Amino acid sequence: MPGANIIPLFVIIPLFTAFFISLIGRFIKSTYVDIVSGLSSFLLLIFSFWGLAILGRCPETALVYKIGGWLPPFGICMVLDGLSNFMLVTVNIIAFLVVIYSFNYMEKYTDKPKFYTLFFLMLTGMNGVIVTGDLFNLFVFLEIASISSYALVAFGTEAEELEASFKYAIMGSVASAFIFIGIAFLYGFTSTLNMADMARVLSAKPSNWAVPFVSVLFLMGFGLKSALVPFHAWLPDAHSSAPASISAMLSGVLIKTLGVYALARIFFNVIGASGTVLSVLMFLGALSMLVAVILALSQWDLKRLLAYHSISQIGYVVLGIGLGTPLGILGGLFHLFNHSIFKSLLFLNSGAIDYSARTRDLREMSGLRKKLPVTAGTNLIASMSIAGIPPLNGFFSKLIIILACVQKGHIGYALAAVIASVLTLASFMKVQKFAFLGPLKEKYQAIKEVPPAMKFAMVSLATICILGGLLLLPSFSFFLNNAVNVLSDGRDYALAVFGAVLK
Amino acid sequence: MYYPWFKLDSLNGFIVLAIALFSVLILIYSWRFMKGRGQGLRYYTYIILTAASSIGVVLSNNLILLAILWGFLGLTLYLLINTAKDDVSSTAKKTLIIIGGTDALMLLGIGIIYYISGTMQIDKIRIALDGNLQFLPIAAYLCIAVACLAKAGAMPFHTWVPDCAEKAPVPVVAYLPASLDKLLGIYLLARLSLDLFILNQAINIFLMVIGAFTIIAAVMMALVQHNMKRLLGYHAVSQVGYMVLGIGTGVPIGIAGGLFHMLNNSIYKQALFLGAGNVEQKTGTTELDKLGGLSKAMPLTYISCLVASLAISGIPPFNGFVSKWMIYQGLIERLSFGKGNLILILCLAAAMCGSGLTLASFMKLLHATFLGQQPSGAKKRSGEVPWQMWLPCVVLAVICVLFGVFANQLPLKYFILPAVGGVSFIGSWYAGLSTLLIIIGLLLGIFIFKLKAIKPVIRQDASFVGAEGAELGKNRVSGTEFYNTIKELPVLKGIYAKAEKGYFDIYEQGKSLVFGIGRFFQYLHNGVLPTYLVWTLLGMIALFFVLMK
Repeated sequence: MPGANIIPLFVIIPLFTAFFISLIGRFIKSTYVDIVSGLSSFLLLIFSFWGLAILGRCPETALVYKIGGWLPPFGICMVLDGLSNFMLVTVNIIAFLVVIYSFNYMEKYTDKPKFYTLFFLMLTGMNGVIVTGDLFNLFVFLEIASISSYALVAFGTEAEELEASFKYAIMGSVASAFIFIGIAFLYGFTSTLNMADMARVLSAKPSNWAVPFVSVLFLMGFGLKSALVPFHAWLPDAHSSAPASISAMLSGVLIKTLGVYALARIFFNVIGASGTVLSVLMFLGALSMLVAVILALSQWDLKRLLAYHSISQIGYVVLGIGLGTPLGILGGLFHLFNHSIFKSLLFLNSGAIDYSARTRDLREMSGLRKKLPVTAGTNLIASMSIAGIPPLNGFFSKLIIILACVQKGHIGYALAAVIASVLTLASFMKVQKFAFLGPLKEKYQAIKEVPPAMKFAMVSLATICILGGLLLLPSFSFFLNNAVNVLSDGRDYALAVFGAVLK
Repeated sequence: MYYPWFKLDSLNGFIVLAIALFSVLILIYSWRFMKGRGQGLRYYTYIILTAASSIGVVLSNNLILLAILWGFLGLTLYLLINTAKDDVSSTAKKTLIIIGGTDALMLLGIGIIYYISGTMQIDKIRIALDGNLQFLPIAAYLCIAVACLAKAGAMPFHTWVPDCAEKAPVPVVAYLPASLDKLLGIYLLARLSLDLFILNQAINIFLMVIGAFTIIAAVMMALVQHNMKRLLGYHAVSQVGYMVLGIGTGVPIGIAGGLFHMLNNSIYKQALFLGAGNVEQKTGTTELDKLGGLSKAMPLTYISCLVASLAISGIPPFNGFVSKWMIYQGLIERLSFGKGNLILILCLAAAMCGSGLTLASFMKLLHATFLGQQPSGAKKRSGEVPWQMWLPCVVLAVICVLFGVFANQLPLKYFILPAVGGVSFIGSWYAGLSTLLIIIGLLLGIFIFKLKAIKPVIRQDASFVGAEGAELGKNRVSGTEFYNTIKELPVLKGIYAKAEKGYFDIYEQGKSLVFGIGRFFQYLHNGVLPTYLVWTLLGMIALFFVLMK
């Protein structure tokens, strides 16, 4: 299968770029560093779309790359199926636009090559988590992504950033440790680390205490990585302290890749999601939605407000996936994609305001739409999108989640989703009011709109927000439906992977 | 399964016509009003988008499509309010939170309808509220009804309307909250109550009580306002009460009355707001204290506002009277059902009193704006506003008269009665004859007045205060304090005081509730790492408990 040969590139390209930049970054002009990074992330974007095309053409539902030619379960394999491809596209769209944005934005920090090195390491970790077919590999990539994100949060090296990074590192390591223990237990129980093989063994063995025990460890570990309440406390600090382009990556894709994707992959495809686990997921999702949005309402720091909204929106995603029905999973995954887009955009907007007006405090800003029309316009689109105002993309995914909740008879959760949506709207009305509307302050008379690269990133994301709803049309729906099928097929994942291996 | 996404029937056809008419009038009006406000293309784009999606909402035959367009209207309203010159961000924020919030609730209602009936096709859905499955249908009905009430501005979701009326640009207010939002909200409520659901007794009573309460409470607030636009805003709320009351009666004549009142209200309310816009354009203010004596300067605006005021107060032979009379008949007919009579009588009384109070507050408005004298400091102003601004008012006033005098021949025959089948009038009203009699009466009055004028018995003389000649300008009666005494009545005093502090504002109350909970959560987020780790641990213990038991 020649198509499968592109799979390792998702790890190799960013890994190579990271080390290449760290080696030569010191000796070349920063413009060249920008170009190398831009090219590399563009290449990744092309490959992820190419993957979509290859997957569409081949008869199997999955492509498998066997590292070193060793057959799984003995060798390590990488798997590209509907879900991984969906995640790859999401991650690499955001990564590409964030790199473009960083061309200008990161000028104000001193060491651009170090930034790109860490950035691409984080991207390596995320892409690795997505394509790997091996549970221990997943842990390794997860750690690569996590550790580079700890460093990126501290990139500003002020007291606030270091404190946030420290908290994040401690809590993240606790989570990683529990995930590691969980993997060890599973290995002991099944004698294999290949995820497909593990799924096969687990479905053949009678269940005992090990599976629920490991479930708890994973729920806690990946729950912390995806910042579900009550495991969320690190996120507001970490996401608001990082440079804006990193916040966009962290909130936009990192918590979803390391948290939600890994959670869904392991629970649906490997361990098998029992009714209890699903109801726990739904409960945690609904709790995160409500608690975080209420906290967000009373924030005055724009980035902290956005960070709380990330927790709240992840709640929607987890609620949708936790429903376990195809419609619910569709809603959850669609919201995951949409949230990546609009939350990255919102963080990039906050960066643009910071870049021009040098503030993150909503009380300091006022009337900025007169001076920053592009930022204000894209921010309006993103705000309306996250608040679920039609015809923007956030509306459709929320609608599907609400419909799916009602369809399964969970009126209470549907109501919670509605309430959270209203409060989200309220808090983004606050952002609009304080940041962009109202009279322009005297001290901002001289500020200018951000440079073109930043504008380009923001406008592209806003365009995706407007057009995102089209993904539900029959001609584009394969993108989401393939991902949904992987999750709703459950442990047939093993059949798909072994089918592809034997071809 | 394919079915048309849009469907034209007798209920929505005339609403489409009305929307088109109002859009044209507003565009003509905005031509001059928005000139020099630096909004230009943006403003007109929003207006056109609003018109298009309103027509889409009304014609839509699919609940999801309806929800999308309906929600989009909230966004355009927000954007339109923000085109104002002054700082309106708080008003815009409040408006979109209330509208958008109730829209989200509507999605839940739509979800439940889909769950019950398995289809999104509006003309296929028919759910009885009396069935075995009690809770869900009622929840669905209420969720969507709340969205309708908020859009139309009925209590308790009305608080955005007066704010919006006062702050937003006049054409925007005249276009959306005063007319289009009424049409849409009441249209959907009618669609919901007539087609999608078969109502039961309790829901009918519920609607009627909401309607009656809205009529009285809003008109009481209107009485004591000092700003022309805000006063009109409260009337915009109060009139919704009649429509909800009419639809709530559940008998054909009442429903027809509610729909007719919806149409009438959007006509005269738009005329009134545009008139207020003319006054603002001319004098630069709408504070009643600073106005007066404009009838000579702006005769056309005055006449059209007078007609619209009489129409909104339900004075025959104008259109407001006919629709109110139909609503009363609906209530009276319902009395013969023999259930909940006390409530019905109270509702009827509220509707009638509301009509009287409306007249009272419009007397205040007309006096303070057009009659009386100009405040001493004001410059002498003369000349009507440009034709683009008076023409829409006059057109609307003419429609008010036509729809009143020829009620049976025009609007009822072509628009309202086809939409509601089986209307039977229990009390007859011969509009043509009555108009004739009214005109004869007026002519008689003028004749007698002139007769007296031949041999004058009225002595005109200079007025004196404390043996000194009183200057006309100083002792003018501005009209704003006409009804201040009711503010001092024992029970009402407390209510007014609380209303001004926002005690009855669902938005303010919700805000303090949410912030209260928020403070508790903030207290938990103390920024100390060990605390956070403890939660994580507690969360894990809870998970062990749930999953391992």
